[in-house]
Amino acid sequence: MLGLEELDVNEINLILELSKEFKENLSKKQKPSKNLEGKRIVNLFMEPSTRTRVAFEIAAKSLSADVISIASKSSSLTKGESLKDTALNIQALGADAIVIRHSSPGSPLFLSKTIPVPIINAGDGSHEHPSQALLDIFTMQEKLGTLHNKNITILGDILFSRVARSNLWGLQKMGANVTLVGPSTLVPKGFEKMGAIVSHDIEKSLSKADAVMLLRIQHERQSSSHFPSLEEYTRIFGLSIERSALLKKEAIILHPGPINRGVEIDSTLADSKNSVILEQVTNGIAVRMAILYLCTTNSTRK
Amino acid sequence: MKNLYLKNAHVVDPASKTDGVKDLWVEDSKFVRTKSEKVDTEYEVLDLTGKTILPGLVDLRCHVRNAVGGSQENIKSVSQAACAGGFTTLLVMPNISPSADNPGSIRYINECASKNAAVNFYLAGALTDNMEGRSLSPIGSLKESGVLAITDCPQSTQNNEIFVKGVEYASMFDLPVIDLPRELSLSKNGSAHDSVVALSMGLGGYPRMAEEIFVQRSITVSKYLDAHIHLSSISSKGSVELINDAKNKGIKITADTTPHHLCLTDEKIRGYHTNFKTHPPLREEEDRESLVSALLDGTIDNICSGHEPHQDHLKKTEYDLAPAGVTSLDTCLSAIYTQLCGKVKNLPYKLAEWLSYNPAKIIKKDRANIQHGSLADFIVIDLNEEWIYSAPDSFSLSSNNPFDGCKLTSMIERTYVGGELVYKKS
Repeated sequence: MLGLEELDVNEINLILELSKEFKENLSKKQKPSKNLEGKRIVNLFMEPSTRTRVAFEIAAKSLSADVISIASKSSSLTKGESLKDTALNIQALGADAIVIRHSSPGSPLFLSKTIPVPIINAGDGSHEHPSQALLDIFTMQEKLGTLHNKNITILGDILFSRVARSNLWGLQKMGANVTLVGPSTLVPKGFEKMGAIVSHDIEKSLSKADAVMLLRIQHERQSSSHFPSLEEYTRIFGLSIERSALLKKEAIILHPGPINRGVEIDSTLADSKNSVILEQVTNGIAVRMAILYLCTTNSTRK
Repeated sequence: MKNLYLKNAHVVDPASKTDGVKDLWVEDSKFVRTKSEKVDTEYEVLDLTGKTILPGLVDLRCHVRNAVGGSQENIKSVSQAACAGGFTTLLVMPNISPSADNPGSIRYINECASKNAAVNFYLAGALTDNMEGRSLSPIGSLKESGVLAITDCPQSTQNNEIFVKGVEYASMFDLPVIDLPRELSLSKNGSAHDSVVALSMGLGGYPRMAEEIFVQRSITVSKYLDAHIHLSSISSKGSVELINDAKNKGIKITADTTPHHLCLTDEKIRGYHTNFKTHPPLREEEDRESLVSALLDGTIDNICSGHEPHQDHLKKTEYDLAPAGVTSLDTCLSAIYTQLCGKVKNLPYKLAEWLSYNPAKIIKKDRANIQHGSLADFIVIDLNEEWIYSAPDSFSLSSNNPFDGCKLTSMIERTYVGGELVYKKS
């Protein structure tokens, strides 16, 4: 599971259907299923992450797999060991799948070419974050039904966002129209060649949206040259209460987290009835169970 | 050393405007007009019917890691790779160990070269101390130690004042300054051309702008100082337009590009193959086409190999962390021939201009011609032979070559330096 760019609709639907089953089982508070008993899942997180790592851990444990989490600070990566050597060592330790988060785009693909172990991309630089996009799509489908011809607006830092890219691939495959909104320095025109509508007019794009996905402004990735100040960003591109009035009544608000309250979204909107932010987190477990299940038991690699 | 009698080859030599079948004689390292009149002179006779002879190739940008020994590219290995690729003269960039930024190191490197290099080995001296762009290196002393050009390549001096003073100072010694134009603040996280390919792959962009701004800098500096600047490894269409304009105005700019920029585009990097992470990055089809046209109309003078060897473990890593640069010496001519064969008229003659005659003029070395009295640096090529290139089998100690596994047309069969056979196809 390297990204949504290379998955086809059937593969995406397969994951979503299985996610639905797992979600139903979870809601019945059943005991962990024995599906992955005896399997060893290694979480290799070379970039800080809380919710994705924890969601994968809970998902693995809900399937009775053994989980080993390696964070970059506690691993040998800080001692200068290469990713290739780390991977070979993890393989030698007998991993049945590796969930990797890494700051370098393409690093999961690199791992998959290096060792014959299923690799699950949990975010590679600005490239892809497929499990996040799948849980976003899952959540949108729950609320909106089919996504065919639905208008989805993704707002914020698109340039550095793997969530935006994975959603762009995935949503278009599900038939949705995707509009990317933000300052020109963070939403370059090049995204049009990937099928998106690029806009710098937030009001216009909010009014037609069936779902609005906000992305975190990532201070750690942007140099100061992408926009002058957080204050100006919030004033021109933040989802304020006034702007939210432009939204359709039934439109939903998503955010992959962590939220900067008061920056990309007004604090009260994050907790409003249109917000599905916490449901996204819960759905993330079911979706990741489906991914782990398909990657470690199915004969097909994806 | 044997005397040579080369029969029936198609001889191509821009210096003497030769392009046809003829016989050649080599005596005492040099070409001679005809067979010696001395009756006891013995010749090794080679019937080269169907083969092509070109003057030895001259490279204006190749990188070597060590002077001697080690597991990284050294003078001996680079020289062997060069011979296999038909290069008989190399201009080696100063980022060798030790750095070619002081006369002592340069004498040491040249001494190593005299023992280990089968080719004519020349150094480009550093423009600034340790190529760090802070203070000028002792350019006058470097000239006295034998450097043929001044450059910080693969770095480009970012500080304009230092660059200008360096060019001004070097021109006093009649040394060309070579710049691989790259404005760093616009490209520091750039590991790929900033097209939709890089955007979709989540890679930081190295835009055309970063190159073109510094191309314009060199043009402006050259104009005001009336000094010769050679722009290395041009990759963008916009740069070609700027250079064309400058040349039309008589500004002393020369320029080259690389075989990878003439043959490949950034579509190749999908899949994060680091052997396509070139320096500068591969760009788009319109750039590639523009570079080919620029060679044909003379806007771009020559092709350099841009040979940048990196060890396997450094290259086999995350794409953004892998160093940029590819090996190229032993595939340069064949890759270009394969790409342009059937599309360019008189291609062997053009190749001799781009890869031998023109670069030799830029460094003012008279070692690229097939005329009476010239040292016999030449190569024998079978233009029709098809072969599969295998990078691990290269003489280079590195295998980061973008043409690994590719079928190439045209093969170097023999390489001679000063009449001596330094490479023969096995």
